[in-house]
Amino acid sequence: MAKAITAPLPAPHGHTAAVVKAAEPPRELAREPLVLNNHSLGWITNAIAGICENPMPKWWLPAFVFSAGGATMMFALIAYLISTGIGVWGLNQPADWAWDITNFVFWIGIGHAGTLISAVLFLLRQKWRTSINRAAEAMTIFAVVCAGIFPVIHTGRVWFALLWLPPIPNHMDVWPQFRSPLLWDVFAVSTYGTVSVLFWYVGLVPDLATLRDRAKTTLRKFFYGFFALGWSGSNRHWSNYEKAYLILAGLSTPLVLSVHSIVSFDFAVSQVPGWHTTIFPPYFVAGAIFSGFGMVLTLLLPMRTLFKLEDIITVRHVELMCKVILATGSIVGYAYGMEFFIAWYGGSPYELWAFLRNRVADPFIFGPLFKVPPAPYWWAYWMMISCNVISPHLFWSKKLRTNMVLVWLVSIVVNIGMWFERFVIIVTSLHRDYLPSSWGYFNPSWVDICTFAGSFALFMTLFLLFMRFLPVIAISEVKGVTPQADPHHPLGGAKGHH
Amino acid sequence: MTWFLSLLACAGLFAFSSVSVGAAAEHDTAAPTVHTDASTATTNTPEGTSDHHEAAPPSLGQQFLYSYLTAYMFCLSIVMGCFFLVLIHHMFDAAWSVPIRRVTEQVACLIPVLGLLALPLLIFAPSVFPWMNIDPATDHALNVKKAWFNRPVWTVILALIFSLWTFMAFRFRSWSIAQDKDGAAIWTRKARVQAAWGIFVFAFTLTAVCFSLMKSLQYQFFSTMYGVYYFAGSVWTTLITMYVVTLWLSQPGRPLEKVIFYRQKHDLAVLFFGFTVFYAYIHFSQYFLIWNAAMPEETFWYVDRERGSWKWVGMLILFGHFIVPFVILLNQDIKHNLAVMLPIAVWAWLMHYVDMTFNVMPVLYPRGLHLTLLDPLCWFGMVVFLGGVFWKNYLKAAPYPLKDPRLLEAITHHEIPAASQPAAHR
Repeated sequence: MAKAITAPLPAPHGHTAAVVKAAEPPRELAREPLVLNNHSLGWITNAIAGICENPMPKWWLPAFVFSAGGATMMFALIAYLISTGIGVWGLNQPADWAWDITNFVFWIGIGHAGTLISAVLFLLRQKWRTSINRAAEAMTIFAVVCAGIFPVIHTGRVWFALLWLPPIPNHMDVWPQFRSPLLWDVFAVSTYGTVSVLFWYVGLVPDLATLRDRAKTTLRKFFYGFFALGWSGSNRHWSNYEKAYLILAGLSTPLVLSVHSIVSFDFAVSQVPGWHTTIFPPYFVAGAIFSGFGMVLTLLLPMRTLFKLEDIITVRHVELMCKVILATGSIVGYAYGMEFFIAWYGGSPYELWAFLRNRVADPFIFGPLFKVPPAPYWWAYWMMISCNVISPHLFWSKKLRTNMVLVWLVSIVVNIGMWFERFVIIVTSLHRDYLPSSWGYFNPSWVDICTFAGSFALFMTLFLLFMRFLPVIAISEVKGVTPQADPHHPLGGAKGHH
Repeated sequence: MTWFLSLLACAGLFAFSSVSVGAAAEHDTAAPTVHTDASTATTNTPEGTSDHHEAAPPSLGQQFLYSYLTAYMFCLSIVMGCFFLVLIHHMFDAAWSVPIRRVTEQVACLIPVLGLLALPLLIFAPSVFPWMNIDPATDHALNVKKAWFNRPVWTVILALIFSLWTFMAFRFRSWSIAQDKDGAAIWTRKARVQAAWGIFVFAFTLTAVCFSLMKSLQYQFFSTMYGVYYFAGSVWTTLITMYVVTLWLSQPGRPLEKVIFYRQKHDLAVLFFGFTVFYAYIHFSQYFLIWNAAMPEETFWYVDRERGSWKWVGMLILFGHFIVPFVILLNQDIKHNLAVMLPIAVWAWLMHYVDMTFNVMPVLYPRGLHLTLLDPLCWFGMVVFLGGVFWKNYLKAAPYPLKDPRLLEAITHHEIPAASQPAAHR
């Protein structure tokens, strides 16, 4: 039976203190602590700082060489593309946007979870973010790097694009097209990337100082000391740090919404059936968070095992991330449903065609049901639905969302699904123009495929370097959410419970 | 500040009323206007004719039904907003909202009352919904959706949805009251399971109801965002309503005095601020994408709302629904300054009512805002009636969940690992 506690209540802001009887939660509803096994603060520092202080495990070097090799291949293919022309890709008329823009939107989406975890969850005072925010923020920055590559190389003549994209005053008085969402992308993504780096760096400062103070070599002491900006942990430093972090969180939050909203404008401002739909902005944001959390799980689940961080990145953290995936996946499912519903409700034959005959109609069920021939890309649409709408619902089961192997597999499925979502939006809407004489079919070339694979390799290379040199978990923030750090906590340090 | 904002609200209301009533009166007898956009949009009249703008002013009965519908959509917003708060409370296993949950549960239980209040709209539907007077065979936009937009199916769907909502809302409340007796976890689990499937029901059915009762007034219009738009405004209004109700109930000697603290009021105000931005984001996105694509079958809806004084109503929504509360609520401390928050609440109710008017009334008065005494009377009558039913039923049970497993966490700010938790997890 739950034990009754008479809780002496705080009386902030002039409230009269009151006393009310409340019971401890029953055992089955008790919340797991955010750091398991009541470890000391010193243990937390050793566990996290030790990763980048000690020699890396044996798997790290082969993984790094493999990833760096893949990234090199990507840069070689980019050189080949620039020297030869966009014809080395599988683009055609009418599918003149395909894998490249799909990859761009995919990577931008991946880059959303980091800032969401850091900023939005911080503003919402969600303490569970502390174990995962550092790695997610790093992932964000690396994903933005990967994302930025594709639209730039799509222009073909990259050296011109770098001059055309920013509004640089020139003697010809030629300016970018400010009414184009593609230009808004330039500002949105670059702003997002800049603020994300700043946010990441500000959060790193106390931990860099910890690494500086623990450094055993002069070189490490110099570099960590240089980037720690003279942090001494004084009250004044912490006060300034907290303010800066809050301000950056406030700035980052609208950016999280704006970046993917603007990416969605690339499509939604047009009149192309399948692209022009008003729900695109929030739907893209939800999809980005969905895929971002998918990638966070894909990276963190092996990391917590390989570096034995199970007590810091706990099953509770994994479960909570699964729930975010479930929620955002459901929002995405609602958007898919609304798109199809409005295609019917609106009565536009073009819109209905784009959804039914270009996407949904498969050879087995919906094609025969609606008496229409199978859509050329029906397999891509149903791959998207299976991965994004159906697979997250496995997470309703506590048993399944606490099975780390299954969660990891579903996180990969989510990423596959979200890549397909962008592919479906872009290619299935373009490959059939209004006139049947302008119909085509997109097939990726080997350069398309290898460049995309190379972007994953670049992403992994950067992430492996991050693991090698920086603390993968925010040491100071994790310590801050332990009961020991809170003298007012019923189990806190002042009560002598640990 | 209080007086200033109140005066501002009143001045704005009367200014619009006096200016546009004159304008509307003039226009109602003036030369007809023409829908310059989608040809289908010209059927947009309660009489089902294509030349509504030449028609005589609406009858008293029709005016009453439209005022009633506007007030109804306003009240439905708050009731469904509270239902949503109950759902997400259980979905997120939240603690902070435990002390106010009994209030939200009881407001959600007004759903069957709202179902009864919908009867005039259902009985006199042909006087409200233009499409009921049109032969689908003569109108493509109606013909494609005639499977839903025919009176029997439309009515049955609404009845089923209200029945389902009632079923869910009463189950939440009965489990919550049952937990007051034994504090057992089973009631929390039951509510959580229902919230899990209920959130899907909520999303799709709320969309269907706002399509049925509000969007169908101009059935030619379509927007995938419309359901989210109504949802965003509803939760926005609900949060400030809950702020005021919570504040009132937590005064000395009132039922929630011992369990409501700084935290609950702060969280409600912060969420209200968040939804101020979310609503603006949603409405801007809908407007911007329709404006940018400039497709007549969509733009006509906003063109109608930029005609005459409706344009200024739109501007009022832009500034009053977003910019004013956004700028004021940026300050953290102000969220506890009652001299500001109470006028903000009154302002928010007014803005949400204006938003509902912006959706409903251009169908009846296409040339500009036209306020009549029936508008405030319907609103006031419905709010007072629903408020009375709420208060009567709220007092029948404990004012807050007495033995909720998260009550301790809600009132102490800390997650409490159970004493019986295994040592390895301590």
